[in-house]
Amino acid sequence: MTLSKPAGAVRSRTGFWPNNRATIIGVGILALIILIVPFTASSSMMNIAVFSMIFALPAIGLSLLMGLAGQVSLGQAAFFAIGAYTHAILLQKFEVHGVLAAVGGVVAAMLAALLVGLPMLRLRGHYLALATLGLGFIVMIAVREWEFTGRTTGIYGYGRPEVFGIPIDNNGLFFWFVAPFVLIGLVLALNLTRSRAGRALSAVNDSELAAESLGVNTYALRVKVFTLSAGFAGLGGVFYAYQVQIVSPQVAEFHVSVELLLMVVIGGLGSVWGAIAGAFIVELLSEGLRDLIPAIIPGATGEVQLIGYGLVLILVILLLPGGLYQAALTTWGAARRGIRSRRQASDAAASAAAPDGTDDSGAGDVPTRAFGGIPDVGAGAASSTPTVAGVEQTTDAPTDEVTLPVVSTPVATGEPILEVRGLTKRYGGVVAVDDVSFSVPAGRIMGLIGPNGAGKTTCFNMITGAITPTAGTVTFLGREIQGRKPHVGAERGLTRTFQNLQVFSSTDVVGNVYMGRYRKGRAGILRGMFGLQGREQYTHEQIARDILDSMRLGDVAQLAAGDLPFGRQRMMEVCRALAAEPALLLLDEPMAGLSGREREMLAGLLRRLRDAGLTIVLVEHDVAQVMALADSVAVLDDGVLIAHGGPEAVRNDPAVIVAYLGTDAEEAEAELKELEEQG
Amino acid sequence: MIDFLQLTAAGLSQGSVYALLAVGLIATYTVRHVVNIAQGDYATLAGLGSISLVSAGLPLPVAILIALVSVTLASVLIERVVIARVKNLTTLVSIILTLGVSTLLQAIMLLVWGAEGRRLVAFPGTDLNLGGVSIRSQELWMLGTLIVVGGGILLFYEKTRWGKALRASAEQPVAARIVGISPAVASVLAFAIAGLAGAAAGVVSSPIYLSIWSGGLLLGLKGFVAAVLGGLVSFRAAIVGALLLGVLESYVAGYVASGWKDAVAFVILIIVLIIRPAGLVLRPNAVRV
Repeated sequence: MTLSKPAGAVRSRTGFWPNNRATIIGVGILALIILIVPFTASSSMMNIAVFSMIFALPAIGLSLLMGLAGQVSLGQAAFFAIGAYTHAILLQKFEVHGVLAAVGGVVAAMLAALLVGLPMLRLRGHYLALATLGLGFIVMIAVREWEFTGRTTGIYGYGRPEVFGIPIDNNGLFFWFVAPFVLIGLVLALNLTRSRAGRALSAVNDSELAAESLGVNTYALRVKVFTLSAGFAGLGGVFYAYQVQIVSPQVAEFHVSVELLLMVVIGGLGSVWGAIAGAFIVELLSEGLRDLIPAIIPGATGEVQLIGYGLVLILVILLLPGGLYQAALTTWGAARRGIRSRRQASDAAASAAAPDGTDDSGAGDVPTRAFGGIPDVGAGAASSTPTVAGVEQTTDAPTDEVTLPVVSTPVATGEPILEVRGLTKRYGGVVAVDDVSFSVPAGRIMGLIGPNGAGKTTCFNMITGAITPTAGTVTFLGREIQGRKPHVGAERGLTRTFQNLQVFSSTDVVGNVYMGRYRKGRAGILRGMFGLQGREQYTHEQIARDILDSMRLGDVAQLAAGDLPFGRQRMMEVCRALAAEPALLLLDEPMAGLSGREREMLAGLLRRLRDAGLTIVLVEHDVAQVMALADSVAVLDDGVLIAHGGPEAVRNDPAVIVAYLGTDAEEAEAELKELEEQG
Repeated sequence: MIDFLQLTAAGLSQGSVYALLAVGLIATYTVRHVVNIAQGDYATLAGLGSISLVSAGLPLPVAILIALVSVTLASVLIERVVIARVKNLTTLVSIILTLGVSTLLQAIMLLVWGAEGRRLVAFPGTDLNLGGVSIRSQELWMLGTLIVVGGGILLFYEKTRWGKALRASAEQPVAARIVGISPAVASVLAFAIAGLAGAAAGVVSSPIYLSIWSGGLLLGLKGFVAAVLGGLVSFRAAIVGALLLGVLESYVAGYVASGWKDAVAFVILIIVLIIRPAGLVLRPNAVRV
């Protein structure tokens, strides 16, 4: 029995353009403003507008890096400078065509980022921040000391850009010249945050371990986002070079990086819209402070605007950590609630909520709770799900009647799917797991039991790649995966749940289960940016919804995952793991925290999944449950495998009894005797 | 050969400044996981402050003492007013936050002392000449300060009750709290140490290397490079790393070109992070201070 896939023929209406209504309206309004500004703004205002457009590009890049990759670059100005210098040098020294020179500038910035990112992104967050800060200084020193880059004078004497024979020689024209790139950059960045890759990265920010266990290659994605963010900075540098007509070392100065960081922080960490608003505000602030400070403090010269930067940076982090974006969302939410309550009071009959829950809440540029970006549900697809859900809600039917998620069966039942040989983990002098070997046959349920601290979870973590074993091998589907990152096993169908729940709290329940589909998807960063993956995403979202329906979680699909009661969160994790169509499912204490009925339901489901060919290994505290469920049971005590066999054999194994009583057999007998005598 | 020894001596004295800053960075990093971008600004602040006090007529030792105490208090104030207010302070947020503090401090210094670099009067003493290698007395003061202040901080950590408490709280905050060490006190103490170490570095280096409003960032970063050489946990390894960095910079300035000197630190940073992120620490896993 397989899960009925939604009619794949439903045409998604996603194309190049963003599919969220709020986004389209927002981009439209911004385009309108851009069109009007040059006619209305004063010349000083026009100057601010041009520079805020130029700096919006690196700011968008930085907001992607901070929001998606969870990383900070303190050297965004370095990439900006590399773009500007490369562009200027190609124009002035090599007389390359403008478009080619611009491409050169962007590519050079991206290459530099790749060089820095490849080693640095392997390390924890703050190293990239400081390495980029160092890069900023290196770039500044290099351009200042190198004859080729014109030392302190810099590069000048190249022409202004021309578009269709019109020279871009005033601020108004230049504004129109750069603005379309900002708009396109904005749309691409927004698309990316909602794409498969964007969702994966925001899942990583919630729980890196869980995301990697579903097949997300965090490192590769982060390198790509970092490179992309440098590309945005490089493009900004290209326009900067055109606008100021001289590229000198001050473009690489540290306070430019601070300025860019401030734009993103003010706008709201990770918000693309915020980055554009932030760019404008910071340019305005900078201009204002340069006039204001010398007026207050006579004789003040130089970078006096820094005092405002410092203050604003501290105040925003302390008082408004989500920046303008969060403030706007809060205001908008309050306004909507106000409108809604008034409307409900006047018209109670119209309470039929938005179908399918796809209310396009918020501007939705940070991965939001609802799948606002999923195309309108066609009639065909909508009709396929309610039948299942309907059965679920009306009858109290046993689980046998629900559809079963798809499982993959790469090897024949009974053949080994997972081989563990000599697995050992030492922490200093402590041996947590000692030379454990076992083999898991496909299509069976194996239980792993043992007293507290026996090393069960450590074993699990070594098998799934969460920790690296000190010695031993883990062979999954014929390939050694020990010591590899969790996504390596996950890509081949090894999926797990967690003893301590690892919920993606920034998304809703269906968003969590959708992440389980990650390994079945293909769309990468580029496809995500150009919005060419709506159909794939839509299909996977439907499958996720169907799985939720079949597990009686359909009614909470739209809720924030963190709001579910504990037991349902656990079921949601099982759904998420099943969504990956695993070949081997590792469950770490799946019964803990479940009610009696939920346990029954889960046990039934696991049996039926096994019958469908899925291999399951479960660590469990509830020995009775394991004995009833498992085809074979392995017992760990003090890191050593003390028994492995059928449930009956293990139950009567003296070593196991001793392990659970916590004393040795003779002592136990002696104690019993003593008690009898006293009694 | 004389050149070489001359450059080595200059490098060691410069390295002792980086070492003090590294000690401050490690103090706050181990206790709070804060990478303090403003660490170097403590040095310029103390330098500029003591210059003003001396020109106001105070004797040099008094001026230095006041500068050290006020910068230490300023560091504690920053901890109380800014750092302690953030609930979930991740290292990344701490970088952004202390970057804000650093920018603010720099701007204040720019407004108060102007854009020109200033020099503190040299400390008393006569220059040494050892077989053609001349060592300025101020350079000896710099090395001496590292030995006294850096060594003092090390002794404090290893011998005193409070120091041991700080170490405990770096290794096991929960356990430390249970036995009665408040994380807030530990944090204040760590920032006080950072302030003192930074201020000492700034005062003693000012007669040779000037104090300028924007100089702190670069100084702090070099301290950070040294701290990375110490794996961000080991004072001793960081001090050794800082002295090495100072000497290397000095060679580059002497044999290549002085303009490239400042790039050395970051090239080292990137190479070390690629090859050995644990730095010069021999047992990378153990948390030590």
